[in-house]
Amino acid sequence: MGFLLPLFLAGLAALAVPVAIHLIQREKNTVVAFPSLMFVRRVPYESVRRRKIRHWALLAMRLLALALIVAAFARPFVRGSAAALTGGAREVVVLVDRSYSMGYGTRWTRAQAAAQGVLDALGQGDRASLVFFGTGAEVALQSVDDRARLTAALAAASPGAESTRYSPALRVAGTIVSESTRPRKEVVLISDFQKLAWAPSDEDRLPAGTVLTPVAITDTDTRNLSVTPVAVRRSRFEGQERATITGGVTNRGSEQADGVTLALELNGRVVETQTVNVAPQASAGASFAPITLTPEPMRAVVRLADDALAADNRFHFVLAPTRPVAVLLASAGGRGADETYLRRALAIGESPRFDVTTTTVDALTDEALAAARVLIVHDAPLGDAAAARVLRFAERGGGVFVVAGARASWPQAAGFPGTLAAPVDRSRGQIGRLGGLEFGHAVFAPFRAARSGDFSSVRVYGYRRLAAADTTQVLARYDDGLPALAVTPAGRGAVMVWTSSLDLGWNDLALKPVFLPFVHQTVRTLAGFEDRPAALTVGQVATPDSPADQARPRVVVGPDAARLPLDAARGDTFEVTQPGFYDVRDAGADDTTTSIVAANVDVAESDLASVDPAVVTAAVTGTADAQAAAAAGAAPPRDEVTEQSQRLWWYLLLAGMLLLIGETVVASRLSGGAV
Amino acid sequence: MQLGGAIPGAQFVDPAVLARIGNLDLVARSVVDGVINGLHKSPFFGTSVDFAEHRGYVPGDDIRRVDWRVYARTDKYFVKEFEADSNSNFTVLLDISASMAFGARLSKLDYAKTLGACLTYLVHRQRDRVGLVTFDSDVVDHVPPSAKHLDVVLHTLERAKATRPGQLSGPLRKLAEHFGRRGVVVLISDLYDEPEAIFEALAPIRFRGSDVVVFHVMDPAELEFPYSDPSAFEDLETGEQLPVVPESFREKYQALVRGHIDALTARAAERGVDYRLLDTSKPLDFALYDYLSFRERTTRVR
Repeated sequence: MGFLLPLFLAGLAALAVPVAIHLIQREKNTVVAFPSLMFVRRVPYESVRRRKIRHWALLAMRLLALALIVAAFARPFVRGSAAALTGGAREVVVLVDRSYSMGYGTRWTRAQAAAQGVLDALGQGDRASLVFFGTGAEVALQSVDDRARLTAALAAASPGAESTRYSPALRVAGTIVSESTRPRKEVVLISDFQKLAWAPSDEDRLPAGTVLTPVAITDTDTRNLSVTPVAVRRSRFEGQERATITGGVTNRGSEQADGVTLALELNGRVVETQTVNVAPQASAGASFAPITLTPEPMRAVVRLADDALAADNRFHFVLAPTRPVAVLLASAGGRGADETYLRRALAIGESPRFDVTTTTVDALTDEALAAARVLIVHDAPLGDAAAARVLRFAERGGGVFVVAGARASWPQAAGFPGTLAAPVDRSRGQIGRLGGLEFGHAVFAPFRAARSGDFSSVRVYGYRRLAAADTTQVLARYDDGLPALAVTPAGRGAVMVWTSSLDLGWNDLALKPVFLPFVHQTVRTLAGFEDRPAALTVGQVATPDSPADQARPRVVVGPDAARLPLDAARGDTFEVTQPGFYDVRDAGADDTTTSIVAANVDVAESDLASVDPAVVTAAVTGTADAQAAAAAGAAPPRDEVTEQSQRLWWYLLLAGMLLLIGETVVASRLSGGAV
Repeated sequence: MQLGGAIPGAQFVDPAVLARIGNLDLVARSVVDGVINGLHKSPFFGTSVDFAEHRGYVPGDDIRRVDWRVYARTDKYFVKEFEADSNSNFTVLLDISASMAFGARLSKLDYAKTLGACLTYLVHRQRDRVGLVTFDSDVVDHVPPSAKHLDVVLHTLERAKATRPGQLSGPLRKLAEHFGRRGVVVLISDLYDEPEAIFEALAPIRFRGSDVVVFHVMDPAELEFPYSDPSAFEDLETGEQLPVVPESFREKYQALVRGHIDALTARAAERGVDYRLLDTSKPLDFALYDYLSFRERTTRVR
């Protein structure tokens, strides 16, 4: 039972007024002078009131009539029948966190029990959706009333390897409840509410009137050790590449962890163990002995003994020797430009290493070019044959870097960035400066940030005038606007030209700190080099080392031995979903592993500190009390509709009026009898 | 005797009453005589000059009867009383407390005044000396008994107003010393006091040999308590108000009043005092006639 205008009920207080006035008036108006009160005994007024009400029925009629009229003005309605009229069915969305942190202790079991409790509480006409979420959200069942299916889906689920993100799950829930026609909308969020996973966003707001019920699956005292991503330090010793592995342990608990054993596995075999002591909420590291890398990649794992949360006790990575970038440095030969600075710069590279081969432009052969990834033409004229050979090299995917000094030239052929003209002498007058750098290009991307390299300090005394072709992108200019660095695509490769020298003849760039990273980045860009990580995080997309080939279909075998065919049209990319190693193999040849990808869980998820569920509720519903907000948002219109459909006040008002008429008749008869 | 309107208080001498009891004159007289005879050791001394006693001078006394010798010795006025002066002293003690003003159509005080005046007139006609004392919580007016004080008594009656709170025992004890000579003392009051206290106060008067007659004047409302609505009852003397539900209280009140009257009757009988309840709703002549008839019967028995 409810009232649309409950304030009118205050009028019920008026019921006491007539009686009180009646009694008080009687007492006050009659004062009898009497000779002596010697025999008069005191009688309390309270008993007077009770005893003086002679016509109880009449009084009851009056009071009841008044009460009915007041109740009619309060617009009553019956809630139970309201639900029946408008439909009290619920649309319940159960969001179950199945990030790997839910595998801690008994959390998953408790989460399943909580979800099952919600499903068991479903009533007639209720519909429920079951959504599991980690980094993303997976709708297991949407808006069904089959409790058996819901229960089966819940029982079949298990914690995954993903980290927690609430946003996708909340958006899915918002979509489901907004599409529902059920009058009552509820979202049950079952999670461990990890603090690091919570990132409030206005876009995660649930529709108005939705009730969010957080169910926190947490523990008062958590102890968790996790392996941090390893660091691989490479070195060369006697012509061989060696790697020193440094692993780390993070203690997320509140107690000191002593004697923690950190083991290094290579291809499934433990090669070394280290023992560390880790303070509470701190990390400790241990370095293993250097390992000589083999040409074949190795599956490496740094692991701890299993604890309550096992998923973060292993870190998988691939140990493979770095492959140097083959650079063919072609000069004019004889006395001319000095490529010493360039060669010394390329000799320093470690990631990647640059394997530099020196030759002359006249000696360029297709064989020599086939072995190279990048061709540097250092201030040398290209004849037609050489130019054609260079362009073919570029079209096959090679990178050509032309240093256009005083002697550089190429025939007027398509494929080069433009046409070289006479040199510009800036040695007199104002010194030329570099500017107009295209930081969006990969060459200058490392210098984008402030104080990441100052090219403006380079003094330029001379350069070649370049009339850039239409397909040429100018990456840097001199202060007079002429191109300093330009690139043009050529087939699968590219041809880049630097219109000055890379020695001290026309500029002092080689003396500037930016020289080395500039050269490295230019060659790395032209070589198409990508710094492949030793391991990926679950949820990331992996790309095999070797490029996709439609003629060579490949499959990937996951850690659970599941085979997934790769689509060459999409570059044979795939998403890593589990921690472990993924083998990319040629289809039909299981023994030919072409690439290995390591995947690990997100270590941020191993921090089990939780956030107050009320904070999540407040951010999602706009108020800390989601129940009240939902009631405030949803109740008034439903009550109004309900009241309009019942119209109880009509009957109450009619009954009150009839009672008043009856009271009038009775009162007149009583008064007539008294007379 | 016809009292004209020129005499103050003459209106209290009700002709109807006198007519009613006129044929009782003899009877009354005999009754009075009987009383007097019973009181006096040697009645009818005649106009003797035998000294009886001294008493204090009060206004109205003939100054020729002041004993100047006593004045010379005591520096106070005393008059000499002679035994042959009167048959008896007849004094009316009239309660004029505020409660006596109660009465719907006839107040108890008016009723008492009429009673006192009629009796005074009757006694005066019998050659007895008449006096009057009005009191409330103290003595208000004192008219010493004298054969010539009828007018003074009537005048005093006329002036008497019931305005102040009253108390029986105090004034009565105070008056007792004035009744050294035996006579007839008539107390007219509504007797709102404890019976024991009332008769304790009358005891000195009775002890000195005076015949005491008590007329208990009550309004019918005091006897029946005919009220119906719950009301605040206000005490006429103290002004105190009490909430009362008469319907539920009436029987209890009547029982209390009856008990009071019974107690007064019993105490009066124990102490040899005539007690008579007078209802102001009943004609005075009938009441007085009834009483005088009763006195006659009891005197004869006695």
